[in-house]
Amino acid sequence: MIWSIAWRNVWRSKSRSLIMIAAIAIGLIAGVFIMAFMQGLVDARVQSATKSELAHLQIHAPRFAENNDIKFYIPDSQELMDKIAGKDSVVAVSRRLLAEPFVTAAHGTAGGTLLGVEPGLEKKVTDISNQLIDGTYLEKTSRMAPVLVGAKLAEKLKLKTGSKLNVQLVNRSGDLSLKGYRVSGIYKTASTGYDESHLFVRYQDLKAQLGMEENAAHEIAILLQKGDQADLVKPSIQKMAGNNIVETWKEISPEMFLLTNMMGQVMYIFVFIIILALGFGIVNTMLMAVMERTKEIGMLMAVGMNRRKIFFMIIFEAVMLTVTAGLIGAVIGTLITKYFETTPINLSILAKGLEKYGFASQVYTSLSMGTLITIFILVVFTGIVSAIYPARRALKLNPAEATRTD
Amino acid sequence: MKIIEIKNLRKVYNSDSVAVNAVNGVDLSFEEGEFSAIVGPSGSGKTTLLNIVGGLDDATEGSVSIDGVKINDLSARKLTDFRMEKIGFVFQAYNLIPVLTAKENVEFIMHLQGAGKKARDKRTSELLKAVGLEGMENRRPSKLSGGQQQRVAVARALASKPKFVLADEPTANLDSKSTEKLLDIMEQLNKEEKITFIVSTHDQRVVKKARRVITIEDGKVVSDERK
Repeated sequence: MIWSIAWRNVWRSKSRSLIMIAAIAIGLIAGVFIMAFMQGLVDARVQSATKSELAHLQIHAPRFAENNDIKFYIPDSQELMDKIAGKDSVVAVSRRLLAEPFVTAAHGTAGGTLLGVEPGLEKKVTDISNQLIDGTYLEKTSRMAPVLVGAKLAEKLKLKTGSKLNVQLVNRSGDLSLKGYRVSGIYKTASTGYDESHLFVRYQDLKAQLGMEENAAHEIAILLQKGDQADLVKPSIQKMAGNNIVETWKEISPEMFLLTNMMGQVMYIFVFIIILALGFGIVNTMLMAVMERTKEIGMLMAVGMNRRKIFFMIIFEAVMLTVTAGLIGAVIGTLITKYFETTPINLSILAKGLEKYGFASQVYTSLSMGTLITIFILVVFTGIVSAIYPARRALKLNPAEATRTD
Repeated sequence: MKIIEIKNLRKVYNSDSVAVNAVNGVDLSFEEGEFSAIVGPSGSGKTTLLNIVGGLDDATEGSVSIDGVKINDLSARKLTDFRMEKIGFVFQAYNLIPVLTAKENVEFIMHLQGAGKKARDKRTSELLKAVGLEGMENRRPSKLSGGQQQRVAVARALASKPKFVLADEPTANLDSKSTEKLLDIMEQLNKEEKITFIVSTHDQRVVKKARRVITIEDGKVVSDERK
């Protein structure tokens, strides 16, 4: 009966309740959308980083990470790769040689990171091959060794497919080595910073230039079925890797992990602000509802409805108001975010700024059921908390006076 | 059989440091089955007396015993339950729950008492019939006239089978036809069902129907006549 009265009381002042429901629903839609948008932005950044560069796990020789010294390498990389590739959760494995070259082209010079990769394997681990804007992915089209450069570097050095560039580096023996390459293709990722500083050549070509021994690798990159498995899978890979160091993408790029966590906190601060505003709205609505019904509440007390039941009747009203609004908001919010999961939000006007920090200018929303449920529960909880003050006001009424109120 | 015993009842309000004796040494008792009217000018203390007897207000001094229980000694929680079980209330402004139908208003207290659906339906049907509102069970208060609403309020007051009904100026907002109808119903319930009514009123038509008339002035009982 109390539930029934509470529900009917919600609709006593239809316009007021509808306005409040609309306010809560719009707040919830905004909250859901902001969460989904920011999650989408972060997911895309993380995915871009793991797909283009980091993969989910990486293995390095013990002292390599100290200063990327090419002398520290994994000697039996093929054997290790074969073992790792046999694991169920592993999708693909690729090895890389790394160097820090000085690049000279007709129109300028640049530094950066040179990666020697095996195109067939690397294609399975990272998606640079899918992000070509010109040319081919390290296909040899001339006598010179092919090199893949990023769009930003190409723009800086005025390189085109077919252009020549010289790569100068210090080889394993500590001597300077100079080698000519021809640009086989130009790629463009979401991060202009990455595009400006990363060049790809074939594993064999870099191996020869560096003077590395057969089967040597500075880095083994591992792609898993799911990125969030990295922490779980790491121990078993570590066993296979022996003394070599296995790291997850979060360990390799702690700033990326920090970004993910920070975004999560920022999202909840946004939602908290929205919910706080809603809370005041609910307090106001419920307070009006209680004050309008002073006489009725006095009568309920007089005829024997105890204070606990009156308290809960008012709380239930707020719960019903917020649950109704919450459901409407959650459904509409979900539909909107579902739509933008497949249709990107175009932020091309901000593209330069976003891409500088590695964010895509086209964002797909990403909403987890957990996030949606969390926001919904927060809204309902806010409704309950906001109704406590009006409910306590109702309890302070004196039935004898309240029943005679005009 | 005495169901209410009031001894040396006093209620003092302190307004702007001035003490006002709203009820000033009242001694009264009410027998089961009485139909009593409490009359007196405005501000004489009728409503305050009724509120104290109904457990809605505290006395400054004295005691009220209902059915052998001294209500002054009950905790707020026990007093609320006591009111629900023993006392029926009829208010001047009907005070029905606007979102409930006539039937739901009547059975509301039985819900609070935890009565089953069958018992509620039976009692509600009997009471609405007794107050002449058969066929109007599903109307909300806004679809009933003032007289009909007050009759629902009477039915509601009787729903919990109380020891007595306190009615504070129940006819004040009614036209004469509705007043006559309501008083006839109350008189009939009093005679046939032995329902005890204590009514505070200015209305001479109520006074005529009552079998006991208590006059209060300045918080004191100045006359107590039985017809």
